[in-house]
Amino acid sequence: MIKIERLKKVYKEVKALDIEFLEIYKTQCFGLVGNNGAGKTTLFRILLDLVRTTEGRVLLEGEDVSKTENWKTRVGAYLDEHMLLSFLTPDEYFECLRIIYNLSQQDLFQHLEKFRDFFNDEILGKRKYIRDLSKGNLKKIGIAAALFGHPEIVLLDEPFENLDPSSQNRLKRFILQEKQNHNITFLISSHDLAHVTDICDRIVLLEKGKIIKDLVEKDRMVLELNEYFES
Amino acid sequence: MVLQFIKLEILKSIRSTSFARSLLVGVFLVFLGLLLMAYLLLLGLYLKPIVAEGLGQEDAVYFINSSLIFFFLLEIIYRYFIQKLPVLDLESFLHLPISKSRIIHFLLIRSFISPLTLIPFLLFGPFAFTEIAEIYGKTAAVAWILAVLFTSWSMHYGMLWFKQRFEDSLLGVFIIFLFFLLGAGSTYFGLYDLGSIFEPVFSFALENAMPPIFLLAVLICTYFLCFAYYRQNAYLEDLAEEENIRFVNKSFGFFSRFGLAGEFANLEWKLIIRHKKSRTFLMLCGFFLLYGLIFYANPGFQKAYGFSYLFIFVGSFITGIFMFQYGQLFLSWNSDSFDFFLSKKDGLESLVKGKYLLFMAISCVCFLLSVPYAYFGWEFLLIHLSTFLFNMGVTMHLVVYMALWKPKPMNLNKGGMFNYEGLGLAQFLMVIPMMTAPYAVFLPFAYFINDYAGLLALGITGLIGIFAFRLLSRYAIRTVRLKRFEISSAFRKES
Repeated sequence: MIKIERLKKVYKEVKALDIEFLEIYKTQCFGLVGNNGAGKTTLFRILLDLVRTTEGRVLLEGEDVSKTENWKTRVGAYLDEHMLLSFLTPDEYFECLRIIYNLSQQDLFQHLEKFRDFFNDEILGKRKYIRDLSKGNLKKIGIAAALFGHPEIVLLDEPFENLDPSSQNRLKRFILQEKQNHNITFLISSHDLAHVTDICDRIVLLEKGKIIKDLVEKDRMVLELNEYFES
Repeated sequence: MVLQFIKLEILKSIRSTSFARSLLVGVFLVFLGLLLMAYLLLLGLYLKPIVAEGLGQEDAVYFINSSLIFFFLLEIIYRYFIQKLPVLDLESFLHLPISKSRIIHFLLIRSFISPLTLIPFLLFGPFAFTEIAEIYGKTAAVAWILAVLFTSWSMHYGMLWFKQRFEDSLLGVFIIFLFFLLGAGSTYFGLYDLGSIFEPVFSFALENAMPPIFLLAVLICTYFLCFAYYRQNAYLEDLAEEENIRFVNKSFGFFSRFGLAGEFANLEWKLIIRHKKSRTFLMLCGFFLLYGLIFYANPGFQKAYGFSYLFIFVGSFITGIFMFQYGQLFLSWNSDSFDFFLSKKDGLESLVKGKYLLFMAISCVCFLLSVPYAYFGWEFLLIHLSTFLFNMGVTMHLVVYMALWKPKPMNLNKGGMFNYEGLGLAQFLMVIPMMTAPYAVFLPFAYFINDYAGLLALGITGLIGIFAFRLLSRYAIRTVRLKRFEISSAFRKES
């Protein structure tokens, strides 16, 4: 589904990313871990064509993401709060997305209904601008926005960060459910090893822009990751 | 979709923090804008009599045609300073399924809706439809005004491209400077006459449709040049401004003699150098140093005995502009990190003192740089010295007291020109005491004794103020300390 070929990203003299080859398969829940500065967010940004590659390319079902834009309807993402429109209320923001994604009111209602528990009555129907919400609530809005319009691929950068424990668990259940029911491919980066090892079928460990581990066996994952992060 | 964009744009502007928080300021600014446009229109309506009678030019059309190039040179310069790049909220849309081209087209067309677009029409429209239509016919008038408008609008997109391409680079400033020289060289030194070189283009438009058609083509070309550049660079990394801060790591060593306050003055200096808005203020300081040239060398202000009272005002501006400009937003500059100062021992006191220190240092530099004005006469040196002392002793405290009334948060990374974030009513009213205070001291002495006695009075009052610094600054420090919760909650935007 996603193919990364000879990808390099260099900032000034610093090599941020250097990936020879990486293929991510359909309906795989793909986890990305690594310490700060390992290149997780840069990789996501390149996948979304938000940042130029220095070398190499990213193919999404054969399409080079920097050449076309058709793939944008099939990919949802939430990386940071800049992706939101901070001067709108959450309701207005979802309404705006509804128009952009060409959905009906009914679709929007159904979509938001799925997040009812997750939102915990703190987001919809409140007269508050997005810029005035807490970080946890921003994350919730972003995650709901990333799943708009039935995407095939969803990229989430640190989705568990800033969420309260019960929301973290709800999110985990939600991701598994969506993957099951709609065959969504999730790409998730996280520092929370317990959560990623729980939900991901495959985990790639980045260090200074390079892939140093590519783990698919559930029971080996925890062991190897703990070993790496403890040393 | 376009409708949706327009709606978002409107919502964004009415919900921006600065707008919502100070509607009054917004209304005032709109009023000011309308007033300026009305003046321009008035000037446009009377362009013919001004040229014919005021300047004694017989052929008004010829004169206007040969002066247009200077208007356009001026336009390039004011566009360079005023025109904003419409790239700010690109990142909220890039990941959504909307094509980049569409977003860029929208942004470019949106940027066109601005008072700047109307200026040439207000200024030259009336002239075209009365004077030119009368002599050359209606078609000629339309062709001529179109030629003028297309030129101006090409500059709009040309400037958008130019600013994005060369922003903050030395080359960009150099090119703008070259334009300055181009205009100045032609008028002052008479090396070449730019006016008569470009005059035929617009005169030709009176007889032929070619110039407007050609200029329309230029407009379309600049639009697509701009479009192509923006489209190609619609990446996050290009939006984020690369700051080259290597050369600004210098700090004033001598501040460190003043303890923590000196440390904070150094911090403040770094804050100024590393943010766009404050840098603009500092640059303005440099421009205002030249302000005196308009007045001092002008024979209209020469008097047989003494000097024009206006010079007091000019003098306080030259030596104190930084203090006025920067000081009116006294604490707003630290709105992002106010809690940092709150949490330190003696933090607030040192912050305020550090700011005082910085104002004094920069005003001192301004005063020293203004010494060459003595070339126009020794009285200017005296004027600057006394207004400088007065600024240090009295006006500085007035500015700070006023600024502490209701500080507002602001974003330091937005450009400084025509950016009124952080300004409230207090900041506007502040101008009144700042302008009247020196005159309140100067005028009685100047009237009853003589002008120089007035200067002496200014200087002595200033000196008294400087000696009473501890006492006067204590008030400001106490106010900040008393209002600290209120201020910090305003900065955290909890209201």
